[in-house]
Amino acid sequence: MQGVRYYDLRHVTGQVTHIDIDNSVVESAGSSFFNKAVIRVLHKTGWGVLQIDNYTPCHGRKFDALIRSACRLAGITQGKVILGDAPRGILGVPPLTEDPRSVDIEEKSALLSGIEQAAVHPSVVNTRANYIEKIENVQFTDSSGNEYAYEMCRSGFNVLAVASGNGNIQMGYEREHSIHGFNLRHQQALGKKAAGIAVALLEAKAAKGGKMRAVLDPELAGVFAHEAVGHASEGDLVQEGSSVLKGKTGLKIGNENLTIIDDPGIHEFGFDPIDAEGVAVRRTEIIKKGIINSYLHNRETLSSVGHGIAGHARAMPGEPPLVRMSNTFIEEGDATEHEIFEECRYGIFLKGSRGGQVDPGRGIFQFNAEYGYLIEDGECTDMVKDVSLSGEILTTLHGIVLCGDKRIMSPGYCGKGGQSVPVSDGAPHILLDDAVVGGSGVD
Amino acid sequence: MRWWVAVAWIDQLIHEAEKTVDEVEVFYVNGISVSAELKQKKVNLATTSKDCGLGIRTIHQGKIGSSATNDPEQWRICLDAAIASGKLATPQEWRGLPAPQSLSRTPLSFDKSLEVEPAGVIDLIEKMLTGAAEHPAEVTSGAASLSTATVTLANSQGVRYTDQHTGVSLSLEAIHNQSTGYEFDHSSFMEKVDPESVGERATFFATESDNGKEIATGEHDILLSPLAYAELLGNVFVPALSGRNVHAGRSRLGQSLGGPVTDSQLTMYDDPLLAKANGSVRWDAEGTPTRRVDFIREGILETFAYDLKTAYRFDKKSTGNAIRGGFGGLPAIGHHNFVVDGKRSRVADDRVVYIHNVVGAHTANPTSGEFSVELSNAFWMEDGQFEIPLRSAMLSGNVFDMHKSISGLSKESRAIGSLVLPSIRINKQRIIGK
Repeated sequence: MQGVRYYDLRHVTGQVTHIDIDNSVVESAGSSFFNKAVIRVLHKTGWGVLQIDNYTPCHGRKFDALIRSACRLAGITQGKVILGDAPRGILGVPPLTEDPRSVDIEEKSALLSGIEQAAVHPSVVNTRANYIEKIENVQFTDSSGNEYAYEMCRSGFNVLAVASGNGNIQMGYEREHSIHGFNLRHQQALGKKAAGIAVALLEAKAAKGGKMRAVLDPELAGVFAHEAVGHASEGDLVQEGSSVLKGKTGLKIGNENLTIIDDPGIHEFGFDPIDAEGVAVRRTEIIKKGIINSYLHNRETLSSVGHGIAGHARAMPGEPPLVRMSNTFIEEGDATEHEIFEECRYGIFLKGSRGGQVDPGRGIFQFNAEYGYLIEDGECTDMVKDVSLSGEILTTLHGIVLCGDKRIMSPGYCGKGGQSVPVSDGAPHILLDDAVVGGSGVD
Repeated sequence: MRWWVAVAWIDQLIHEAEKTVDEVEVFYVNGISVSAELKQKKVNLATTSKDCGLGIRTIHQGKIGSSATNDPEQWRICLDAAIASGKLATPQEWRGLPAPQSLSRTPLSFDKSLEVEPAGVIDLIEKMLTGAAEHPAEVTSGAASLSTATVTLANSQGVRYTDQHTGVSLSLEAIHNQSTGYEFDHSSFMEKVDPESVGERATFFATESDNGKEIATGEHDILLSPLAYAELLGNVFVPALSGRNVHAGRSRLGQSLGGPVTDSQLTMYDDPLLAKANGSVRWDAEGTPTRRVDFIREGILETFAYDLKTAYRFDKKSTGNAIRGGFGGLPAIGHHNFVVDGKRSRVADDRVVYIHNVVGAHTANPTSGEFSVELSNAFWMEDGQFEIPLRSAMLSGNVFDMHKSISGLSKESRAIGSLVLPSIRINKQRIIGK
């Protein structure tokens, strides 16, 4: 069509199955269906975008009418968007070890109930387990003649135990989500673990806030990489000037032992066979040996900002793609876990994550551990509850003095611009000097 | 067009469902929106969105089933899925969906003068940028959107309700050196938003927070803005008032009915019929007529919030607090316009740490109430004036305990989502400096 510089269409249909068991009652269980599309057009200036629920694929005049209507919308934009070149190609989706669709929902419900019942304990007043399975069929086409189609299946569960005693109420929470297939079998241990943590936390002390040495477990260290570095390296934030990392490539912000990667191509929970604007996915080294190396980009931010590659555009069904993290991790170092605790000597060991948040423009982040232990003479002693960490992007990373030799990835979801996408974060154990720990405990 | 002409298939669906199940409920949403996004000071993306969704709930012998789709033409598949889903659910005490009541048909959160057109969003964006120009901070991003939606609720007891909603929402982000500012506004009514002020406040906070000073670790008197207060209240305190959380043993307020739970000057209630408020509705997501619900009166906990399901199970009455996040989920317990009220006073006369926003409130412990968050746009305030910006610090405490020692509520309130809140002053809270 005349004057149209570019268009793409991403159409996603699928099905979501869920089961919610609360105190051994099946609260709800069943399937829902969705059909969503997004059409993006570049005409003279910026994007015209149509978000369509219940899209029927069409060609010829009908499709042209949609493109025209997106063009009219694009007419109110002012900033000119230029797209950078990017390689094409789609990765294979890893095969499912067991397809959740081949397991009937009664069996899923019985297995989930087993996990929930494993969290029953005399001090536990509430047990709850959720199963979620999402199947997405994605079809992508663009004005350059690229066409891709793939199917992704993500499934997993959460289990929660709430313990109560002496007017105190605490929770333990475990989760496992996967792209590799049905994962509800033989998981009762996680229910039991959630209960054990909730009960133990009833006796835990409040953490005393202040500056100290901290050992972070792989899950929490992964969230640290995600909040402290990942978001600020997103090309759209760099482009609009709301990241402290803008103009800072080449700057040393951490020790030689620190390398932080985002890689949508590895088979973890944030895997995408191709990005949401049809670009081949590849690994980006955000921090390389302590130096800011690359940003994460889509085609627009690549051409505007540079330093990095496209292939990091992601979207919820029916939503316009944004620059997002996928599988983000701190690379392994050479320290053993024992050496990390020995080197720490006195401090705090923080485990698990209740999430985090960052203000990338100000360069300030906060994230929260599920629980922790005091470290005294290199050994874990008393359990502590409600511990959070905060820091500044440009200075805190220098505090990572040791990285362990074994990395573990944890699945989760990340929110940005009203869209939530599956991600994984990971790291080895790390030792952090001068950690700013928040907690309500006092001497 | 009369509603039953527009959605004749809903009657057909109900008729079909009644062959198999005791009761059925249909929730149907249809809406459009237009929005524009700023990249610095230029609009770089414009969107129109057509949303459509159908949620079906079936009840048979106390077993509740549900399904959803955004293709209403596929209602038969969706109905079959809902009926199948009901077979798995644990049966419970169920005394029926609500029968129709003669409620006013005049929508409460609908502005008939609001037009969902691109020209309207551009006008809002220009006004925000005009306001933003009053301070030296640079605009980094922003957005404006206009929307309208029709919500239909029908059930096999004969309920046929429709309601219309409109919405306008605005946001702007700004930066000055390494200091950020953010402001937003939203309403069902165009006249209730002030785009110039949104722009001005965003660049004001970015500009004024630059060159922040350190604060010493220790106990300080704080003043939480409605925005900062909403983060802590909404993530921790409000969920503890849900009947479902109470009966599941997940609420710290569960054992406190009839007793003091906050400072005696505080009152908290849900007012679904508040004039020109964002969440105003005459019937809740299950068709129960709404009414004012007083949760806490002068510090005393009087009731929890219930929907039909939880009420029937625990021999209570629905308080009309069923809400739906969208068409896709089941009705759940929530609120419409949650108001915190009480004796108002001049809260900033004495020196206080003013906290405009916090980072990381969703990481608070929702069961125990413990939190520690990073401060955003915090200042030493004297005589109501922003005096010295604070660079970086954490605030730690317990949301429930904090409510027992409220020192004052500001004269003005502000709507944040469906919360209507004053600024609150709390003395002697723990701040951890760097």
